Amino acid sequence: MQIFKKTTNIDFLKFKWLALGLTIAIILAGVLNIIWGHGLKLGVDFGEGTLIRVMFKEPVSISSIRQLLDDVGLGNSVIQEAGRSGREFQIRTVETRTTGQPTEEIENHQVLANKVITSLQSTKDKQQASQGLIDLNNIDNRSLTALLTEISPEQGEQLAGRMMKYRNEQGIIVDWSELQKEPISLPEEVLGKLQTKAFLGQMTVLSKETVGPQAGKELRKKATQAVTWAIIAMLVYIAFRFKGVEYGASAIFTLAQDVLICLSIYTFTNREINLPIIAAFLTIVGYSINDTIVIFDRIRELKKTRRKEPLQNIMNLSLNINLTRTIITSGAVFIAVLALFLFGGKVINDFAFIMLVGIIEGVYSTVFMSCPVVLFWTQLFKTQKKR
Amino acid sequence: MKKNLKWKIGLTLVVIGLCIFLIYPPKDKIKLGLDLKGGTHLLMQVITEDAVNVETDQQIARFEDVFKKNNIAYTRSAKEKPGKFYFEGTRADQEEKIRDLIDQYTRDWDYYFTGDRINFKLKQAAEQFLREQAVAQTLETIRNRVDQFGVAEPVIQKQGSDRIVVELPGIDDPERVKNLIKVTAVLEFKLVKAGPAPDEQTLLQEVGGQIPEEAEIVKGDARRGLQGYYLVNKVASITGKDLRSVRRGTDEWNNPAVSFTLTPDGARRFEQVTGQNVGKQLAIILDGKIQSAPVINSRISDSGIIQGRFTPQEADDLVVILKAGALPAGIKYLEERTVGPSLGTDSIRQGLISGLVAIFGVMVFMIFYYQLSGINAVIALLLNTLLTFGALGYFKATLTLPGIAGIILSIGMAVDANILIFERIKEELAMGKNIASSISTGFSRAFTAIFDSNLTTIISGVFLFQFGTGPIKGYAVTLICGLVANLFTAVFVSRLIFDLAVPTNAKKLSI
Repeated sequence: MQIFKKTTNIDFLKFKWLALGLTIAIILAGVLNIIWGHGLKLGVDFGEGTLIRVMFKEPVSISSIRQLLDDVGLGNSVIQEAGRSGREFQIRTVETRTTGQPTEEIENHQVLANKVITSLQSTKDKQQASQGLIDLNNIDNRSLTALLTEISPEQGEQLAGRMMKYRNEQGIIVDWSELQKEPISLPEEVLGKLQTKAFLGQMTVLSKETVGPQAGKELRKKATQAVTWAIIAMLVYIAFRFKGVEYGASAIFTLAQDVLICLSIYTFTNREINLPIIAAFLTIVGYSINDTIVIFDRIRELKKTRRKEPLQNIMNLSLNINLTRTIITSGAVFIAVLALFLFGGKVINDFAFIMLVGIIEGVYSTVFMSCPVVLFWTQLFKTQKKR
Repeated sequence: MKKNLKWKIGLTLVVIGLCIFLIYPPKDKIKLGLDLKGGTHLLMQVITEDAVNVETDQQIARFEDVFKKNNIAYTRSAKEKPGKFYFEGTRADQEEKIRDLIDQYTRDWDYYFTGDRINFKLKQAAEQFLREQAVAQTLETIRNRVDQFGVAEPVIQKQGSDRIVVELPGIDDPERVKNLIKVTAVLEFKLVKAGPAPDEQTLLQEVGGQIPEEAEIVKGDARRGLQGYYLVNKVASITGKDLRSVRRGTDEWNNPAVSFTLTPDGARRFEQVTGQNVGKQLAIILDGKIQSAPVINSRISDSGIIQGRFTPQEADDLVVILKAGALPAGIKYLEERTVGPSLGTDSIRQGLISGLVAIFGVMVFMIFYYQLSGINAVIALLLNTLLTFGALGYFKATLTLPGIAGIILSIGMAVDANILIFERIKEELAMGKNIASSISTGFSRAFTAIFDSNLTTIISGVFLFQFGTGPIKGYAVTLICGLVANLFTAVFVSRLIFDLAVPTNAKKLSI
């Protein structure tokens, strides 16, 4: 099978100014958006604060959650829907800026987090809890085991295990009748006794992450340091293998462009930057560098056999010969990431989204930007040397 | 069959066998990170200053004692800051004797005289040692406590100079664990001299307006229902170090309590103290707060109970921390993450499904586009995944979400390597070369591109691993493993399959 019957003959380098313009425009838009628009949303991994994921029995609207938080003075928290059911939400409390010690600050975050959680609990739940009833949707494994062994000494432990597993899979237990069905199969009399001691709360906390200011600062510093060294190492290796600083410089330029363009587009989607997203950026950069090196490799090869031909022609030829490969490789990876995007769930979704953007952008940067940069560089430095 | 094909097949089979051995059974061999499995991640800092502080206090007390015994005159002693203290009002004619005494008793402290003052400063090396030891001991104590608490497969590691990371898979009650780890758990039994009184003033009046030199004021723990202030002996009769065993018990009203037995040495002292002080109160103090102050009814030798309105859970936790011992220094939390197990299982299931769909999609695509040669690519791809996991199993690395990102990149580059080779073979075929030489040239020409692109990324991975923290490291590990596997499968195994499947005089190649 063949995409193109014959090797194409497109003058890619003709578009270099257009491409440069487009790149600058997108990056500029992103910068403007960061400064005046949505801003750059750093996740709890990099900033400080608390991220809480909760799940409700019934679908709830974001505005009603905001109303509840507003009542306790936390209306400015960031609330996002997670998942598709309308029952899962992610709440990010806003930074507390106190002048106190770091320890106090992390405790402040935790106080805030607890405030958020209590404010989301329904009045009925709170009443039942104050009567000494236990919330089965927020109970921990140990306490549940203790509770059930008290009711049924022989079966308690097993039942508790099955119930925990069920809740972990479902997120929340909506109705008592679920407990009687498979896989828990709670006996009638145990259920009856359990109902006198416990209730099914309207909401459950799925996860809670708190990062103190000190740790946040260090994570930022370490991540920057790691990426900087990785980039420098790549530059040195490429310059060495392709016998020219211009290739290393071009690879790094393309890389910077990849990151900036993807970041720009990402800021417009109102998603958060966390560690998995950093990994996604590294992956995008990895693919793009891979593409670029394949092209450079062909240029290196062709330069040996066609010494007379101008560099620009060799570049065009290399790009054209490799066009099929570029399209197929990116296509294959695109298919893979599309699967992650569609079926991967909330946690992977952000990650897959930026990857999809990055794959398309990576092709663009390889085809339209990597070679022109080498050309610019050579024209800028090499001609001066010759004189 | 050619001879060098035989050893190539042999090598490939050995590698496959080794990898299967390394990942089987996958449940035990491939560890999942907390972001995939659910659990609690805690990052804490050991306040090593505490250890220096304690050492300083001990030195002051020690030299007060030494000076008194040797008739060295001084007016007062004071701590300037941790690691620095002085004695004031010494006599010039005793300077020589003081120097001798200090040299005799300590080598860890520098000292110098200014007028009638001796200044002590903790030596740099000694301070360093104290701090390191505090971290090491804290780590050990936390490990003991977590083990006692009964968490499966906890990760407890030192990070940097004074940080400790604790990862507890599956724990869904992080508050309790956090408190369990954080309490200093210094247990002391001290004789009560006066009290309780509602406030310090009243207490002072009771004893004549001044705190006696050998006594101190300690507050009751409100959570245990003890309000008010007590005047107790400064010196503890027995401490947590004298405990031999601790277990959950009940008091005479059947309330949860903690019962203990003492070491022979501790029992001897306890017997003496209780015997001489029948009718008096003995305060049981945990972290500077009185838990209970029972009246000594008779001489007690080697066992007793600690009561104080505990809930069963609190009593259990107290047993755990007393068994594990006290922390040598305080800790503070810097970071805390709890991923609910539901989020964990959710992301695993979805990640697994989507990962399988992704790999399957790529395979279908490759076979569709490259026909029979596509099968070769599929085999290389499967093998690459197997090798990557084999390497992860070997290095005992944990698989995290960023780690999956690394695998995606390496799988993508594995596919790319095959595409590069196949396209090159097609080019050669288009130029009219025969099949055998097209395959051979295709591989050798594509090799430089594959080698350079993989090595560039491996190099960046090595640096990310070296300088990165947790998640970034996880990404780097899977990436490096995947790419090294890639160089083997794409270049070596793919070629082998062509050599085996395509006869040297083949007329047609399905590509």
